[in-house]
Amino acid sequence: MHKQTILVIEDEKNIGNYIETTVTTQGYKVLRGMNGTAGLSMCMSHHPDLVLLDLGLPDLDGMEVLKKIREVSQVPVIIVSARTQEREKVTGLDAGADDYITKPFGAEELLARIRTALRHGALADAEVEAVSVYKRDGLLIDFDKRLVQLHGEDIHLTQIEYKLVSILAKNAGKVLTYDYLLKEIWGPFADTDNQILRVNMANIRRKIEVNPAEPHYIYTEIGVGYRMKE
Amino acid sequence: MDRKTIMMNILRTVLIMVIATVAALCFFELSKNATNVAIIYILAVMLVARSTTGYVPGIIASLIGVGCVNYVFTYPFMKLNFTMDGYPITFVGMMVISTMTSALMTSLIQKNAILNEREKMLMDAEKETMRANLLRAVSHDLRTPLTSIIGLAETYLAGKEQLTEAEKSDMVTNIREDANWLLHMVENLLSVTRIRVGATKLTTTLEPLEEVVSEALQRFRKRLPETKVQVRIPDEFLMVPMDAVLIEQVIVNLLENAVYHSQSEEPIQLLAQVQGNHVVLQVRDLGKGIDPERLPFIFDGAGTDCNESSDSHKGMGIGLSICKTIIAAHNGTIDAVNQDQGVAFIFTLPLENEEGNHA
Repeated sequence: MHKQTILVIEDEKNIGNYIETTVTTQGYKVLRGMNGTAGLSMCMSHHPDLVLLDLGLPDLDGMEVLKKIREVSQVPVIIVSARTQEREKVTGLDAGADDYITKPFGAEELLARIRTALRHGALADAEVEAVSVYKRDGLLIDFDKRLVQLHGEDIHLTQIEYKLVSILAKNAGKVLTYDYLLKEIWGPFADTDNQILRVNMANIRRKIEVNPAEPHYIYTEIGVGYRMKE
Repeated sequence: MDRKTIMMNILRTVLIMVIATVAALCFFELSKNATNVAIIYILAVMLVARSTTGYVPGIIASLIGVGCVNYVFTYPFMKLNFTMDGYPITFVGMMVISTMTSALMTSLIQKNAILNEREKMLMDAEKETMRANLLRAVSHDLRTPLTSIIGLAETYLAGKEQLTEAEKSDMVTNIREDANWLLHMVENLLSVTRIRVGATKLTTTLEPLEEVVSEALQRFRKRLPETKVQVRIPDEFLMVPMDAVLIEQVIVNLLENAVYHSQSEEPIQLLAQVQGNHVVLQVRDLGKGIDPERLPFIFDGAGTDCNESSDSHKGMGIGLSICKTIIAAHNGTIDAVNQDQGVAFIFTLPLENEEGNHA
């Protein structure tokens, strides 16, 4: 089978080595770009299946690299960022990155993100729409019938709540930003205040989670958005 | 003094004097008594001195006052005449009184400003010392895990052939543990830098309590997946003004503190409830409790390494002192209370932003 290629744009040699070792053991092929310019040209010439992009590069701003990639390609991009750059994560996601991972990250977390991004990348938008059910640990969402069941029992969600859950479920494993969700559900002229979103999320949690403080299905990434269990 | 303040001074002076003149006119029409008019002007001069900067506006205002009284309110009306019987004394008196009050007022304002400045400098210095102490303590605590990481890695590389597989995996496990500990320290340090010096208030946003608690738990479980935590929060949807990253740090610190110091395998409890206009969060363990003598100093960041030498995880005191700093910046309180069994760390957060609290 054809090995999937991952382009790692990262200037720190040790982190690059760590990612390469972790990813190669799982059967992926790795390309390394040591700075933004090199990374960009490799992305153009080698057409990798996924890009891991560090935001702090010596020559170009990581955000610039992301925009340049997006001008020509829809390849899945995972941003690698440091914990302090919350704003950057959101801007990155809204600028077309598929996901982000925060330094320091463990090998398992990294691989899980890569798998998710590759799967979503493989499906075109139309195919995402065609997915008809989400089923995890007793939670069932049937997108055709607009039906939500928890351990076989019907859960009654409002229109907005259902929209919110179904968008998250269709993108399971991927973090969706507040802005994205607001625009998807309330339209492009929605208020930028995310309170309404969080109130709805609280209501959903009261319907599907055993303890809203220990969510099992929908995770919070404060300051960024929500992520549904894969 | 820049142009803007000069313009403001002129504007204020003129405005107050006009108001005073109008008031004096009304008064004069009603009572036909010129003595009270002088008092109105003296009051106006005081107000001018109070609301402007420097001596000049006050003195000019007193000149205007004397001029107006002479010109408008005393015989001969609409003429300046300082020479009539008794007038010189009246006007000199009024002049002296208004100039002196104006001078007094101005120097009072200046003294006040100096006092405020000094107080602010003192507060800054205090914060600076706190920061320096913290840094000293932390850099000491950073060296310990670093030494073990570097040492273990070197031993591993040098003795690759002689070491057994079990020994190797032990060493790497130790390296991972110490590195995690380092990360924890660095995160605590980062949260301190979020509380900027000089800024009187944190930038807080309304956050749902359940989301903050759940994210803190997620972070905690990433590090210590084996530990059991029971969580109970109010059923109602609760928005609390806070810096979420900092409050998460507090929760994580308290949970980890319970793991390392309770010496108990019993589950840790994390409880939240609303009391009046505060939300009260508790982290309880069922461990050995805290020596009552140490209780008052537990948040001071010191004392952990003096008598508890058996404790492998030093520096938790720093975690607690950071908790205190964070909660204080939120205008909340934090306490440690011994229970029948174990200890409860209790902190409160105000549910409403107290505007103007620092004015």
